Amino acid sequence: MRATLERVSPARARRAPSRPQLTRAGVIVVLLLFVLFGLPQLLSLYYIDTMTQVAVYSMVAVALGVLVGRVGLVSLGQVAVLAIGAWVAARLLFATTQPYPLILLEAGLITMVAGLLIGLPALRLRGLYLALITLMLAGAITVVLATVNFPNGGHGFLGYNGSLVHIPPIRRPSIAASDPAYFRYSVVVAILMFALVLAHIKTKPGRAWAAIRQSEPAALAAGINTWFYKLWAFALASFITGVAGGVLAGAVHYLYSIGFPTQDSITLLAVVLMGGVYSLWGAVVAALLYQFLPSLLNNWGVSADWLIILFGVGVLQVLTTAPAGLADQVPKDLARLGRLLVRLVRHPAPSAAGAGAADGGEGP
Amino acid sequence: MPSWQDFQPFIVSGLALGGVYALSGVGLVVLYRATGVLNLAFGAIGAMGALIAWSLIQAGVPGWISWLACVAFGGAVTLGYGIIFGPALAKRDPLVKAVATIGLTLILYGLMDLLWTTSGGQARSLTLPTDNSGFMVGQVQVTWTQVIALAAGVVLTVATGAFLRFTKLGTAMRAMANDREITATLGVPVRRVEAAAWLGSGVLAGLAGLLLADLVALDATTLTFLVISSLAAVLIARLRSITVTFVAAIVVGLLHDLLTPITSLTNYRDMTPFVIAAIGLLVLSRHQVMAQSREEA
Amino acid sequence: MKKYIPARSVRRTIMLAAAIALAAAGCSSSSSSSTAGSASTPASTSTASGTPSTAAVSTSQCGTKPGVAATGTPIALGAIATNQPGTSFTDIPNMANAYFACVNANGGINGHPIKLYIETEQTNPAQIAADAKQLVQTDHVVGIIGNTSIIECSVDSSYWQKLGYFVIDSGIAPECYSTSNSAAVNMGPRYSSDGAVQYALAQHASKIVFDQSNVPGTGYIAAGPAALAKASNVPIVQLTENVPISDADSVAIKEVDDAGPNGAVILNFTPPEALIILQAAQKLGLEDRVKLWGCSTPCNTDFLATSLGSKWDSKLFVNAELTPPDATNTAPMNLYKAILKQYGKAVQGGIGSFSQMGFTEAEIAVHALESITSGSYTVADVNAAIKSVSAFNTGMLCQLWTYGSYPMHIPNNADYTVTPDNGKMVTAQGCTLISSVDPQIAQYRAAAGTAPMAP
Repeated sequence: MRATLERVSPARARRAPSRPQLTRAGVIVVLLLFVLFGLPQLLSLYYIDTMTQVAVYSMVAVALGVLVGRVGLVSLGQVAVLAIGAWVAARLLFATTQPYPLILLEAGLITMVAGLLIGLPALRLRGLYLALITLMLAGAITVVLATVNFPNGGHGFLGYNGSLVHIPPIRRPSIAASDPAYFRYSVVVAILMFALVLAHIKTKPGRAWAAIRQSEPAALAAGINTWFYKLWAFALASFITGVAGGVLAGAVHYLYSIGFPTQDSITLLAVVLMGGVYSLWGAVVAALLYQFLPSLLNNWGVSADWLIILFGVGVLQVLTTAPAGLADQVPKDLARLGRLLVRLVRHPAPSAAGAGAADGGEGP
Repeated sequence: MPSWQDFQPFIVSGLALGGVYALSGVGLVVLYRATGVLNLAFGAIGAMGALIAWSLIQAGVPGWISWLACVAFGGAVTLGYGIIFGPALAKRDPLVKAVATIGLTLILYGLMDLLWTTSGGQARSLTLPTDNSGFMVGQVQVTWTQVIALAAGVVLTVATGAFLRFTKLGTAMRAMANDREITATLGVPVRRVEAAAWLGSGVLAGLAGLLLADLVALDATTLTFLVISSLAAVLIARLRSITVTFVAAIVVGLLHDLLTPITSLTNYRDMTPFVIAAIGLLVLSRHQVMAQSREEA
Repeated sequence: MKKYIPARSVRRTIMLAAAIALAAAGCSSSSSSSTAGSASTPASTSTASGTPSTAAVSTSQCGTKPGVAATGTPIALGAIATNQPGTSFTDIPNMANAYFACVNANGGINGHPIKLYIETEQTNPAQIAADAKQLVQTDHVVGIIGNTSIIECSVDSSYWQKLGYFVIDSGIAPECYSTSNSAAVNMGPRYSSDGAVQYALAQHASKIVFDQSNVPGTGYIAAGPAALAKASNVPIVQLTENVPISDADSVAIKEVDDAGPNGAVILNFTPPEALIILQAAQKLGLEDRVKLWGCSTPCNTDFLATSLGSKWDSKLFVNAELTPPDATNTAPMNLYKAILKQYGKAVQGGIGSFSQMGFTEAEIAVHALESITSGSYTVADVNAAIKSVSAFNTGMLCQLWTYGSYPMHIPNNADYTVTPDNGKMVTAQGCTLISSVDPQIAQYRAAAGTAPMAP
């Protein structure tokens, strides 16, 4: 099977991209250009700050999506990994004057090593046991963080000085000091991370992961080194989350351990499931649910509790009826609505029944 | 290094804490043995029941009716969840079933904060009449509530163990958790047995919620996510043995409190359940791959 | 597979119905939960001073033109408050808003009504920074009154400095007291703990155990009690606990063990946690094993006094940053109670230090705004007026309150000590200055002098 896998990949690369693929790529490029250059002009600083958080968490969501959707490993501790990445980045930012991209890379790599150290023993577990042990490890990391705190410009390995009356802010890159500029910076980093994931999916690891998700014994029997590829997924997810942590550190300027509670990992899993674990768009939807919606509701004075309830309902909905999540479901629903409307336009006579059906279709 | 005298009172409080973990842990394993679902909403259900009991007591309803309401609420919500979502998820992996209970947890957690809003200077507390009396062990007083919690854990362990093994309904539950399809073909009224399992577990959640609200705190966040610490004992028992869960919970509670007087470790003692669970799981899995399969109960 | 399709739509309908039911439940019970909140507020009858509080005074004295509603262009003010499960400070800006509503109904500020924009946050630095920008850029507020947040002062202080806003807040984070752009009406965790420790030292405790919640700033907070203990040659043990506390028993045992029979245990926690620790100590039978227990201001509620019971009377001594409402019968205190009753529907905690702080902040803000004679209410004008507030008698504090141009602000640095008595908090010690042994206090007094006590 491994030989087959290797034989398939060069053949695929030689096939030219088709028309719909080109159109889709074009639309995505236009959308990205709009996000990079159009959004900062249109949004107030409040929403620009929010969208920066969306960019950060879209990276975390895509990492979690790789684990859950591509490989079938549920991690209930992704926020703890994010905290590690943020910690490393903050420590380096205070201790050194290295350029920002280098620090992001270092944060990602160190977090990746931490992820590997966890993954090596943990991957002997499967399914529910693996999910629960990630929860346990996240709980442990949270307690350690609460005690050692995030670096705040102090000295020593931990870089924490508890008696400071003025906490210095974590610096940003010199080219992206203002909020709109940092927003663009974080979107660029997110695009790079998404490209990294895409590169993995389209090549050998992606196919190995797909085989493992289908059936691990079958993949093993076919000669795929499942343990190695699962570890690779862990490493990739940890690296991306570490980089996201670095971007988060610069975005917020001040990091506190109370900002990374264990229960946030649970909410994160909920939104990633709702957004859809099988597509990259799902990660963006998840990040919007996780950061943009609460920000919007906060602005409107609506309690964030409604959102928590919505996430709970969403998880149940996804698991029982729509496993591919919103990113898959909404386009299907919209397409269905579109077909309904087209049918209405073509046959306006039974309008009473048609209008009723259209209203019903617009519902959930 | 603190002396034996210093450790003594922490043994007592550690046993009490172990009793707290045992209540949730045993409740979780009992439901898992009977339905194959690890109900992560166990804490949230109990918390909401306790808050309902608190509200009733504030409104003047007699204590025991309020406690009954708490237990009834636990049973009703869990039963409702089991009836609505049980069949849909029955064929899925235990992991999926557990993640689905996360959905229930979030719904209840959001509801609790909406209905019982946090008000700046106020704090809610639930006291049971057994709080006021107790007996001295060494230098500290043990209240009857703590004794009841520990005893409840023991009774639960023994009773449900016996129930699952020796009664017809218990055997049917175990068979169903193993393989629902085959059990159905054998003529067991699957839906009814499942409903009984959910109801029983819900009643347990309500009871545990009441005791935990008294012993720990009447706070939605604390009680809902206390289940995470209780999972340590559940994991060490590999979700199989109720007795091992109980013993592990006591050990975790003891260790947690015994670390308190050790100055260098005291700030890290909240890690105890997680570290023990991680070490335990890794040790237990060193010779084999631990997986959830249909064949495992 | 086909037989699942009707089941799927049934499930969807059930979930939609459940969501609607939740919405209905939420809408109907939010009002009942606020009445539950006010029902648990004890009625205020004083025991210490002997004179019963007068019947509700007319609220119209809050404004300059009684009975005349303000109709001019609004003066926009902003506030940021923490509101998350377990911690809610919204009572403070809500009470400030109640005061402003009263002023608006009675002439406003030279005919201009005040509009207070309240942003809530969940201790997320990105959100807090965004809230500040929302207030300035979108809501165009000209002043910031009533901020109460665990970390907002740290996150936004350089932003406020850059834009020239001089904030009046109820401080918690170190920057609320150590920067030029923030002056608080309260003393905050460090100086309030100082007050509690000071009282314990005055009762000749032989050892101090200072236990606080592990929220940002523990080192800064601990430095105050450490300096006080050192100056009195009393050993001090510094502890922190992760909150929320899940095993109060071990916390209580540890504190009592460390303090010893002649020691004092001083707590710096928010009410739910302090209550849990004290109740655990009582259940374990430990409350008499130390000389006395102390607590910083968050413990100063009649609610705590009622929940704890009589074993803690004259055993627990709580630092009170604001004048006890029960024992006072002055015009500002009666106005506060009247405004709370008439305009304070959104204030869930009723009479207590939270609403008192909101009242005081609004009082100072209105005083500052009324001092503007030019009729211009720009950011520069309003904040210049706020900065020039000097020796103002709020009627809620020990001392006269001054903002001024100083590199740091600790304008409230004298306190009461209260103790539970029969379900109420009563005064155990009147206004006492926080000792200058605390280096920050010394630094502030060197710059601003020691404010005189209010008459």
